[in-house]
Amino acid sequence: MTLTVKEELISRSPLRLLERSISGGLGRGAIGVLASRKGVGKTACLVHIATDKLLQDQHVIHVSYASRVDHIVTWYEDIFKEIAKELKTPAALEEFDDLIRRRVIMNFKQDGARTEQVLRSVEAMIVHGNFRAETVIVDGLDFAQAGPDDLRRFKDLASRLGLEVWLSASLKGAEPLFDERGMPRELEGHLGVIDVLISLQHHGDHVHLALVQDHGRLAPKDLRLRLDPTTLLIAKH
Amino acid sequence: MKTAIARRRNIGISAHIDSGKTTLTERILFYCKKIHKIHEVKGKDGVGATMDSMELERERGITIASATTNVAWAGHSINIIDTPGHVDFTIEVERSLRVLDSAVLVLCSVGGVQSQTITVDRQLRRYNVPFIAFVNKADRVGANPAKVRDQIAAKLGHRAVLMQIPIGLEGAFSGLVDLVTMKALYFDGPEGEIVRVEDVPHEVAAAAAEGREALLDAATLHSDELTEALLEGRAGEDLIRAAVRRGVLARALVPVFIGSAYRNKGIQPLLDAIVHYLPDPGEVENRAIDLDAGGVERVLASDPDARTVALAFKLEDGPYGQLTYVRVYQGALRKGEELVNTRSGQKIKVGRLVRMHADAMSEIAEAGPGDIVALFGVDCASGDTFCGPGLNLAMTAIHVPEPVISLAIEPVDKAAADRVAKALNRFTKEDPTFRTHVDPESNQTIIQGMGELHLDVYVERMKREYRAEVRTGRPQVAYRETIGRALEFDYTHKKQTGGAGQYARVIGRLEPLAKGGFEFASEVKGGRIPREFVPSCEKGFRASLGKGQLIGFPVTGVRVVLTDGQHHPVDSSDIAFQAAAQGAFKKAYPKAGPQILEPIMKVSVESPSEFAGNVFATISQRRGVIVSSVEDGTLSRVDAEVPLGEMFGYSTALRSLTQGKAEFTMEFLKYGRVPALVAESLVEQHLESERRRLQR
Repeated sequence: MTLTVKEELISRSPLRLLERSISGGLGRGAIGVLASRKGVGKTACLVHIATDKLLQDQHVIHVSYASRVDHIVTWYEDIFKEIAKELKTPAALEEFDDLIRRRVIMNFKQDGARTEQVLRSVEAMIVHGNFRAETVIVDGLDFAQAGPDDLRRFKDLASRLGLEVWLSASLKGAEPLFDERGMPRELEGHLGVIDVLISLQHHGDHVHLALVQDHGRLAPKDLRLRLDPTTLLIAKH
Repeated sequence: MKTAIARRRNIGISAHIDSGKTTLTERILFYCKKIHKIHEVKGKDGVGATMDSMELERERGITIASATTNVAWAGHSINIIDTPGHVDFTIEVERSLRVLDSAVLVLCSVGGVQSQTITVDRQLRRYNVPFIAFVNKADRVGANPAKVRDQIAAKLGHRAVLMQIPIGLEGAFSGLVDLVTMKALYFDGPEGEIVRVEDVPHEVAAAAAEGREALLDAATLHSDELTEALLEGRAGEDLIRAAVRRGVLARALVPVFIGSAYRNKGIQPLLDAIVHYLPDPGEVENRAIDLDAGGVERVLASDPDARTVALAFKLEDGPYGQLTYVRVYQGALRKGEELVNTRSGQKIKVGRLVRMHADAMSEIAEAGPGDIVALFGVDCASGDTFCGPGLNLAMTAIHVPEPVISLAIEPVDKAAADRVAKALNRFTKEDPTFRTHVDPESNQTIIQGMGELHLDVYVERMKREYRAEVRTGRPQVAYRETIGRALEFDYTHKKQTGGAGQYARVIGRLEPLAKGGFEFASEVKGGRIPREFVPSCEKGFRASLGKGQLIGFPVTGVRVVLTDGQHHPVDSSDIAFQAAAQGAFKKAYPKAGPQILEPIMKVSVESPSEFAGNVFATISQRRGVIVSSVEDGTLSRVDAEVPLGEMFGYSTALRSLTQGKAEFTMEFLKYGRVPALVAESLVEQHLESERRRLQR
């Protein structure tokens, strides 16, 4: 059987390697967090993860706290183009139109938009909007302001509606950001709620992805994945 | 043109429907001595307010088309452009916002910021229009201008500051304290025409001092000079006004004025404020599209000696013939001068040039940059740009979207038929998105436009302005057909019926064309089809596109490649090859995976956040795709793509689900494939109507 363009994109994705490292994937009802300082590449990783889900015919809600929506749209286009490039099949680009029909961007503009409001709207989108999301991407939640309760609310929603929720956490504290196990010190208070925690760190001129916690247990491990500086895709190391 | 640019203002008066905009405009005209008698809105005296020039607007209490009028105040020439507050009349809104330089936002002292105020504010923001606020109806029970100021800050997100405080409120509203001059103003005389200046009365002295403090705080943000002057205790009125003006021009400050147009209070200070705080045309940057440079934008110079650039923004059929309202952006309009309409390439000669009052006019010889005037006897459409020799600029994008909806209309009697024709002729000139034609099969007149409401308004206008009553059919979505895959064809047209025969054979392939439209290419070699007959083939294929075989709508997105063929030295002809092409298309089309396309609209719904869920539901029920949702504080905006065919009656549904607090805009986005199930039912309906037609 010949693989279709989509199947090929999916099977060749380095994200399969990530899934193998975290016991087969994040899973429904679970919370995954990508942590790093600002500007290291969390949004690129999240968009790559979301695009991978979209390719698998899943529905994705992308929650953003940015001031504008258009640059997120561009992120998706760019990431998709990069993924498609690896195949050198012009047909792949046409898939994009179909793909983004399964993605909704939800933007919460006001500084410190309250988590209750965000969750209420996400749930309304799924239930009233009849948008059957399997994955929710949350980019830009302020962990310093949000208490452990906020994250727990995300987790409640995830388990109630069977969602896989990926968040980014921007680390802002003083060095060292990570303890000797690679644990981001700012997130220690949230560990009980986070299922999978991945850190992004500069190693020389590369950004490495390291697994810190896997489904509740501390499991420091180099994922053998890095962020490609030119394509901004997650790539095998 | 005696008025220097600095002494000119082009303003819009924007407001919520019941906030008293028309009454205010009426009073402005009165105090500027443009009219000699005050009429009330809704025509108690049977005359009606002067600015509402269209009957339909009078009836509905809304303003649809924008009239413009010129007044003089304190040595300044002020053009008032009436702006439609309703979101649906997009072309009108866009045109009037393009023409004005600034605005007065009118709010009600009792109602404050209402949903339509939010719409208007959004329009002003989109076009970067600076504005001042006028809180009207201070004499009403429950009036609270300070609360309205707070709402402008909280709900619209502007830094708003009171420029006046009221002396008494509700029934006791008797005057104002000007916080810049710290004087009390009273409005005497039977129609408030005498402004009496007094010292600030004791009972409001403390409130006035507090108000001035707040005003100075806000003003100093825009002027270091004022800050310094305040520290040295020498802050003059001019310095304060200059600082506030700077804030207004940067859209960083909204000065709030108070009054009651109905009670003739606070209008003259508002006119002063228009002069003091709103920009002159030279302070506003205007851009035009350079048609010779591939659409690059050029900044225009507010220089009367530069080459002329002017925009025709409204046509009006008056008792004196066609009037074309024009705004001059650069250079000047001079009587007798020749200009070029850059859309049509036609030359026009400036004949009679007039300055307009709502229903009177004065002849002028010349109009300079920033001026708004009207021309007589010029043949053009609204949105056309006139340029001086050597310039090829356009003030508005030339691209006009294809209409997406059509409606059959039928005059009720013969007398109405002539008037309908006249009305349609006018409307199509005014609005390039409104079209009309006669359907050759049903012989019905079809009007086409950009949405249900768009057509409704024109049907109403026919009735009101032209006394042309029509019956209407059901609105029809403008579907298209296309092919889904490439297919080869080989077709021979042969006819032998005594006399000269007909013979032609065409071989080639149909290909889908993603960008839409029609393309034709010939790869025929060796004269297998004589060169003179290749265009006949193209003509034949093109003719086939008019009516698709699925549901009878035009076919688009097809490329025909002719590769081979055959001819007969005697029997081949132009007609024969046309017939062969049509035969080939007819036979090949059903096998080329034909599909139905429908117009997909870009829909944007704004509502208070608590209704976001209901809005999501309305979209998903209509086969819509939600692209994004933005929540900004208490407001939510949902952007979606929804098939036009599902949008009929949407405003009613939305209103009932959101307690009337949501608003939506809709514009054509693209043509998209109709899902199989819907396509089936469309084909079914088409077959049914064909059957009925044949039975007749």
